[in-house]
Amino acid sequence: MSQLKHFLFRITVAVLFVLVPILGVYTFVKAPEWRLWFPENVSSYGDEIDGLFHTITWMVGITFVGTEGVLVYLILRFSKKDASKANYTHGSHVLELIWTAIPALLLVFVAFSQMSVWSKIKINLPDGEYTAENPFMEVYGSQFDWRVRYPDADKNFSGADVIESAFDIYVPVDTKIVFRLKSRDVLHSFFVPKFRLKQDAVPGMNIPVWFEAEETGTYDLICAELCGWGHYKMAGKVHVLAQDEFDAWLEGRREALYSNGSED
Amino acid sequence: MNRNRHLVALGAASIALAAACQFEPTIVELHYSLNEEAIQSNNLLADDKNAQEHLSGALEFLFGTATNPSYVVLPDWRDEEFDPNNWGYYLLSDEEFDALKESNAWTYRVQIAAIEAGDLDAVEEPRYAGDLWARFQSLVADAPDDLDEPFDEDDPEWSYRDELIAVFESYYPNQRTTADLYRQQCFHCHGAEGGGNGSTADFLNPRPRDYRPGTFKFTALKDKAKPRHADLVRILKEGIYTTAMPSFRRFSDAQLNALADYVRLLAIRGETEILMIADFDPDEGMVPELLQENYELVVDRWRAASDSMIEYDGDVPRYDDHDAAERITRGEELYLSEKAANCVKCHGLEGRGDGESVKNNPDDATDDWGDPIKPRDLTRGVFRFGRRPIDIYRRIYAGINGTPMPEHFGMQIIDPETAETRNMTEDDIWDLVFFVRSLSDEKPVVHTETEEHGEASH
Repeated sequence: MSQLKHFLFRITVAVLFVLVPILGVYTFVKAPEWRLWFPENVSSYGDEIDGLFHTITWMVGITFVGTEGVLVYLILRFSKKDASKANYTHGSHVLELIWTAIPALLLVFVAFSQMSVWSKIKINLPDGEYTAENPFMEVYGSQFDWRVRYPDADKNFSGADVIESAFDIYVPVDTKIVFRLKSRDVLHSFFVPKFRLKQDAVPGMNIPVWFEAEETGTYDLICAELCGWGHYKMAGKVHVLAQDEFDAWLEGRREALYSNGSED
Repeated sequence: MNRNRHLVALGAASIALAAACQFEPTIVELHYSLNEEAIQSNNLLADDKNAQEHLSGALEFLFGTATNPSYVVLPDWRDEEFDPNNWGYYLLSDEEFDALKESNAWTYRVQIAAIEAGDLDAVEEPRYAGDLWARFQSLVADAPDDLDEPFDEDDPEWSYRDELIAVFESYYPNQRTTADLYRQQCFHCHGAEGGGNGSTADFLNPRPRDYRPGTFKFTALKDKAKPRHADLVRILKEGIYTTAMPSFRRFSDAQLNALADYVRLLAIRGETEILMIADFDPDEGMVPELLQENYELVVDRWRAASDSMIEYDGDVPRYDDHDAAERITRGEELYLSEKAANCVKCHGLEGRGDGESVKNNPDDATDDWGDPIKPRDLTRGVFRFGRRPIDIYRRIYAGINGTPMPEHFGMQIIDPETAETRNMTEDDIWDLVFFVRSLSDEKPVVHTETEEHGEASH
């Protein structure tokens, strides 16, 4: 009787441990359906960011399922009531070498495989019309506000024709947009999930940031750095327009600067 | 034994922790309170608790409660087909209504997509829109299995699906829902009755606006007129940069329009209250005729707001006009001259907002809300109600309500150049605008006299 009880106990524990990787994998498989997965990607480098994520997820996932499998095997193998007594060991150099070398190699692989993506997105700005010295726009984070400034026709950011707008950012599609990110007070983080773009805004720093949106549409902009009680209020929009629509918008805003007040 | 004691302690700690996690924030129901400061100014009323009750009741009759605000519609207004309860909605032009629908379509994009796909169960309840959700639910209860069936038998083109989408797209919140949105977004600074006395107000500088005196700083109007609907919506959309007033663009246009309506209700309520307190006579009590008179007076002022628009008939001058440099020079003379605009008195020699009146303020003069006066630092390029030339023009033209910034148009000055006495003109104000902007712009003037011949044609 007691033997049967013990057997049932072993099986129950084993099943519980088996459930962990199964449910884990199931969550990942179902995540897109449950809307827990990434939002669609509309930026030119988003696939590479997602690729890094997927690589690491696969590596971690396989390791996780493997170790869980070994764990369940060990539970079943060594929990028999009549199991022989454990013996004392100083360890195995070979095993230790293996389980140190393999993760080390994996980490080196991760470190090297992301370098090109990192330098492409964060270090080397793309060749194009806009550069760090001559950016497309300036974005200021402040408590609790995103403010964007577009330069005047002479690329000047404090002239009379500078266009300023709160929370709504307009950009043309298929253009490498380089912009300056600044903060007026504390740390903020400029995060557009569908662009796979997240960059801290640091007080006193002029951080050049770039992206290239490949589809027109309106996308959420949020602050991803807890910046104070009104952090949640820093929700803006990025409007990606076709080039001609963008030009018309900009022209309209420039004209509106010299409104005589009859239309507002 | 010892082990048991540990277990008991651990159990007790877990229960305490679990109990703490059960904490549920309670929703405090808001009530409009009376304007204590105003009551203290009228001794007769301050001592008469009974009359205060009457005043409370009268205000509740006119404006409803903080959870269910609603105006009383006077018979005259009915004849004119004016209903303050739908104020903002009827001010919308066709284009503005289209923009509102577009904004709703974005705000409720997830819900609309689900309706388009025919999956009504997947429609999520939107936040801050109880009336919208109730309307949708009541329609869903009657919805046929095939959403393509006509909603109304007389109109076969308009399907049930179209109607469900229209509920979201054409949404304009009712006053009850808006009062709830106000409670969640505005109350903590501006207070239940808009007294600028919410719980976070004491931590803010500048303090949040007290709506009750009915004075609003930022309007496009002259003659100290009440703000227009568009002025209030603009503040909600743009926020007031460098103050704690944020932009509320994450809400839909419909919600912002409705919030502007509610701010107007609170201001009208507050001003009616102040008038009633000032008029109080213990022998007569709260006279219904007086109540109606004051109510109508205040509402009429708000209705007349757009008559006082400041528009400029000509083309707004630009930096690339050939006379821009002279304008700046003339503006500077007007700015500095004591007998002219005398901006220097408050804004200082360099425009840093540190003029004599700030350094030497023996009476500790305050603005209308009792806050210290801070002339704008013009060198920072931050203009709270917009940085377009016309915005700065309007500030100089009409002054800023509730502050010592005076109306300049028509002000009697001594011309700094000719030493003649004359009234300030629109052109003088443009000169000042040019000078003020040159204090913060990196590159104020492009064209000089000699360049003019070559490329002055734009």
